[in-house]
Order: sequence, then C-alpha cells, then structure tokens
Amino acid sequence: MSDSKHINHSIIRLVKGDITDLDIEAFVYYATSDLVLGSGFGNSISMRGGPSIKEELEKVEELNIGDVYVSKAGEMKADYIVHAVGPKFQEEDTKTKLKTTMMNSLKKAEEKGIKKLAFPPMGAGFYGTPLPMCADIMLQSIKEYLEGETNLEEIVVCPLDTREYTPFLEALQSLA
Amino acid sequence: MSKHRSYKAEKFLERLGQKLNRQMVGSLVACVHCGMCTEACHYVLANPDDPTYAPAYKADRLRKIFKRHFDWTGRIFPWWVGGKSIFTDEELEELKDIVFGKCTNCRRCSINCPMGVDFATYNRMTRGLLVSVGIMPEGVAVVSKDQWEIGNQMGVLKEDYIDTLEWMSDELQLELEDDTAIIPIDKMNCEVVYSINPREVKYDPRTIADAAKIFHNAGENWTMPSEGWDMTNFGLFSGDDALGGAVARRLYEKVSELKGRKLVISECGHGYRSTRCEGPNWAGMDIDFEMESSVITMLRYIREGRIKVDKTRNTTPVTFHDSCNNARSCGLFEEPRELLELVVTDWREMYPNRAENYCCTGGGGAMSMSEYTPNRLKSAKVKADQLTATGAEIVVTSCHNCVDGLTDVIRHYKLGMEVSQLVNLVANALIIPEKKVIVEVPAVEEVVKEPVLKGYKILVVDDEPDILTFFSSVLEDNGAEVLEALDGDTAVELALKEKPDLMTLDLNMPGKDGGKVFEELRNNPATAGIKVCIITGRPELRRLIYDRPVTPPEGYLDKPVDEDTLMLNVRKILELA
Repeated sequence: MSDSKHINHSIIRLVKGDITDLDIEAFVYYATSDLVLGSGFGNSISMRGGPSIKEELEKVEELNIGDVYVSKAGEMKADYIVHAVGPKFQEEDTKTKLKTTMMNSLKKAEEKGIKKLAFPPMGAGFYGTPLPMCADIMLQSIKEYLEGETNLEEIVVCPLDTREYTPFLEALQSLA
Repeated sequence: MSKHRSYKAEKFLERLGQKLNRQMVGSLVACVHCGMCTEACHYVLANPDDPTYAPAYKADRLRKIFKRHFDWTGRIFPWWVGGKSIFTDEELEELKDIVFGKCTNCRRCSINCPMGVDFATYNRMTRGLLVSVGIMPEGVAVVSKDQWEIGNQMGVLKEDYIDTLEWMSDELQLELEDDTAIIPIDKMNCEVVYSINPREVKYDPRTIADAAKIFHNAGENWTMPSEGWDMTNFGLFSGDDALGGAVARRLYEKVSELKGRKLVISECGHGYRSTRCEGPNWAGMDIDFEMESSVITMLRYIREGRIKVDKTRNTTPVTFHDSCNNARSCGLFEEPRELLELVVTDWREMYPNRAENYCCTGGGGAMSMSEYTPNRLKSAKVKADQLTATGAEIVVTSCHNCVDGLTDVIRHYKLGMEVSQLVNLVANALIIPEKKVIVEVPAVEEVVKEPVLKGYKILVVDDEPDILTFFSSVLEDNGAEVLEALDGDTAVELALKEKPDLMTLDLNMPGKDGGKVFEELRNNPATAGIKVCIITGRPELRRLIYDRPVTPPEGYLDKPVDEDTLMLNVRKILELA
C-alpha cells in the first residue's frame, strides 16, 4: 500500500516516527491554550530546542480552541513550530473544532512561507481523540486545503507507532 | 425539573456503561459492608477515626452511581438502594481526590474481602473514566503524556537513552577489562531482549550496568532495544487502557522485530504486571515469545551454574519488601527469597509478607502526585513499623517504584536504612572468572595514574554539613579542587566568582533554595555554562526542576548517594572516561 498521495501539485506522506526529531521545515505541536510546553512532545521541544522557544511563547497571550501560533524552533532540526490549540478529552463538537484547528494550522504555516509541514495525529493518544476519527478529519482537511490555491508542497503526517500508523494508512488509501 | 448534568459528567456516565463487565458488576454488587477491608488498608490504619478512607466507603461512591444508572433496582427505586447520580464537575473533582489520593490500588483489601470484591480494579476503572474527561492530578497528566508521546514515562529522549547504554557499556569494559563486555543494542535473534524502567536511565544507571555484568558473565546472547524499551506502563496507574495497550504493543512489536526468544523484564512491580500479565489483553495481541522477570533469570543462571556468586560479599543485614504488583497480583514472591538465600548472609523476613505485605505507599502512581504526599507519608506508618521491626540495615525490593516509595518513607520516619535491589546484590556477589592471559613481561616501568578529577573545580552546595563534607572528601580524593557552600546565596556568589566546571546542588535549603539558585545561574550568561548535578532528598521536586524555562541540569541524583554513584555521575557529566 502506498504511503503517499498527490493532491494537485502537493503531496501528503505518512512517516512513522518522532515528529520532534523529523528533518522538516516545520511541525505542528498540539498545544494547550496557555502555550506552556509541558510534557510529552513539549518536553522533547524543550530539551532539543533549548530555552528560546519557551521564552518566545511566554510573550504570547492565551489562545482559544482552534487558534494557532507559529514560533521559531530554537536548536531543533525544524525551523518553525506551529502551536495549534485543538479540542481535548471528548470535548463538545470535537470534530468541528479539530477541523478548524487543522485549517488554521495550514493557513498560518502558509502565511509564514512554510512549504513543508508535519502533523502528529492531532489530539489522539493522551487527549483521547479516537484514531479513525482523527485520521479521517485530518486527511480530509489537508486534502480540502491542498485542493485550493496553495504554495504548500508537502504535508507529512507523522504517527509515532504502528498502532497510530495503521488507521492513517487506511484513511489515506480511502481518501477520495 | 430535572437537575442539569455537566458535559463531563454525561461523558463519565456514558463511558462507565461501556466499561462495565461481569467482573466489575460482580464487585459492584457483592459488597456486604462487613468491614474486613478496613483492617487491610494502610490508609485506614493511619486514619482510624476517618471512615472516608475505608475501602467500602470509597467503593460506595462509585457503587451509588452504578446503582442509579445501571442496576434495575436503583433505576426504579434509587432512594431504596442508595442510588445517587453525579452531576457536576466539582463532584468529579471530589471523586478524583478519592480514587487517586486515598488509594494506591495495592489490592490488599481485595485479597482480604470474603465476598471477592476487587475494589482496586474498579478504583482503577474510575481513574480511567476521570482521565477520559481530562480530570486527573497534574502529575498523572505529565507522566501519561510523556509515555504517550515520548514512549517512556520519564520523558527520556532516544539520544539520552542510547548515550546512557553506551556509557554503561564503556564502564563495564573498564571494570572487567574485557573488550567483549558490552551492552548490545538491537542485536537480532537473541535469546534475551532486556527491557528496563526509565528510572534506571535517568536516576539509577548502575542497575543497567549490574544487569549487563550478569548477562555477560552468564555468557548470554542478549540485547537491549533502541526503541520500545520501557517496560513500565502508566496505563496501569491512570486506568487508561488505551495507554496500557499502546505502551505494551510498542515493546512487544520491538521484541518481535528483533526476533528475540525471551523478553526479560527488569525489577519493577507494575512493569512486570503490565508487561507480563495485563499487556497482551490491553494490546489485543498474541505474544510469540516468552516473558520472564529478571529475578527468575538471575536465579536460573545461578542454579544452572552459568554464574557463580559469593554471598559473603553481602554481609549487611537485609530484609525483603514484596512489591504489591509482583506479590499480590502476579504471585512472584518465592523466587526473590530463593535468590536472597544465595547472595546474602543475613536476611530477615518482614511481617506480614508475600501477598499480605503492606504497600510501600508509593504505588499506583502516588509518587507522581505531590498534592497527596502528606497523606501518603502519614499512611506509611505501618510500613515504617514493619521495616523497623526487622532490625535490617538494607531493605531489598524488586520494584523501582518501591525503591522511591521506601526511600521516602525511610527518610520521613528517619529509619536510617538503605534501599537496594536484587540485581545490585547479585552483581556484588558475582565471582568474575580470572582471565588466563599470557603476558610478555615488559621492562619494569612504574605508571603513576593521575587522579581522574585533577584540574577540575567543583562547587558542592548542601545545607547539611555531613553531606557537604562527604561529597567534598570524595571529590578531593579524586583530585578535584572543591569549593563549598552551605546555602543558596553563597552558592551563587561562589559560582560567579570561581566559575567551577561543575556544581552539585541540593534543592531543599533554607533561604534561597536550590531551584532558584539553578534558574538564576542558568539565566546569567556568565554562569549558564556551569554543569549542574542536582542531588536531593526530595524526589518529588524533580519535575519542578525540569519544568523551569532553562536548559535542564546535566545530572540528577536522589539521596542517599554513595561514593561510587557520585563518582560515576561526575565522570559522566564531565565526560571523563
């Protein structure tokens, strides 16, 4: 089964691994409203990126669900981190909010001139969004965005392990 | 007009309905309130006048909800059978404090219940229901997110894990003077794949080296995985079965990928239970390799004559603490005793023991929930009494969580004991066969080795004069120029003036505490480059240090720290061979 799909002149690819160690221009971090990095990928960002990222984030005001802020990525392999505040823990209207968060992430990245952007499974895992729903909304949102006028060249979806990868591969195959 | 129910409470009830199975329902309906569980619970023993600690009382909080919504009697006559619903987020928060703060899921009440009510199992389920709506102690959230996203519950990055294995591998080669004594990583087709607790990487790498020494001397064909190596599973504590399955699956898949024949699990109670017993169900996987506790592996090596031990090397009086998960949930209690008989000269039983032993009081994730620390330590009185009664100087346990829990209890009740694990005792008792090497005798030339820390300036900061003197003596004996500070202000002053290569820093000090000193030095360009090793008797403060918006410390040690551990870590931080 192919792990990629072309949409007009752009491509969606699946890459299994640690998104914070990915060799890519920018990646999305599923953030909290106060933009505190915290643990998990936030911990990786703090450790690998150094203190400058936290310093930049401390100057930003609290965000609402669906909002996005693009920061520099300190000493990480990536140049930028797209902090996207998505829905969490079975929140009301999870689907709608997740789609808004996806579209805003793509839009803000594009505004920053980013060409290659990676997403984790947004809200899956710790925040409990079911993987099939997550894969479906994410890939549909990416497709919808890439079908419009865009300079984004490559969107990578980066599941951490096989458990996450498989539903994304299935959703990518069935992406009409 | 019906009472309004919050969205989270709705979701809580919805998921409760999905989680109920025959085992849960059996436990929810069987309680006859006989009170047998109360005498079994260490929280009740420490709070005899407070009925809210009784397992039956705690259980009733969920039982009432179950009755109201899922039992036909309660749906029709809630007033008759005590059915009561849940409506607000405040009520959910209150439930959180009960299921996380007043129970360590140790299962001592479960095995003492004549009706077979497994309170710990549905206490865990209740935790999972709360986690699913985002209600959990901060520490549980931090650790769970680390394990979901980084792959281990202490947030150890892959490069740090590999670096530690390589470091321990180098140490082993040096100690044994044997180039073949290495820690193999991702070797295919091995007899043993060895998985560990991230605590070993972050705070206790000596246990990795000790295990490696045993595998090497046993002539084992073994390896450690580069990924999926964490055999602990916070899903067991948080009640999140999805996390449980994800973590277990990562480890199982890695063993299969390496075509390992046996997965050996290092000494960790909840890790053993999660990986060996619960994991296959959570992950929904059939496992095509064997799984074994390292306690059994070490015992097997001795019985088979693959390693030889000399018990007279471990003469200090020792007692053994059974981990709840090993003993009560997995029946692993005779093997560690057999092993102790072989590697120590004086070991004493603790009473009660085996499946009836009391929890270290740090189980069920309690060590990560600092808001409940005073209650936890109060409930540890029975554990402290148990330990004292043995008259032992060392308490041995086959569980990393218990190591931290017991260390805290010993410190709090001033018991003056040390905590150790079987792997340390076996490694210490190990008889290393002498190598038969024919060496050409060169002309006699005396080689004088320079002390390893010669030329290094080290600042030692601690408010306890005894500890300050001990650390200073060790470092000076190894050639370092040592500066001393008894408080935070002096530490900052000396750091600015002397620019040491390294500082050891206590956290809990009067006046300016170690955390403030650390952040101040990191934020000052003149001192930001000084390497720092935090050495603290307050393990619960770890997260506060790592959460500061500055580069993390280069090292972190829990007191008590012996000479070998101090030097091992100082050499590691200063990158000395």
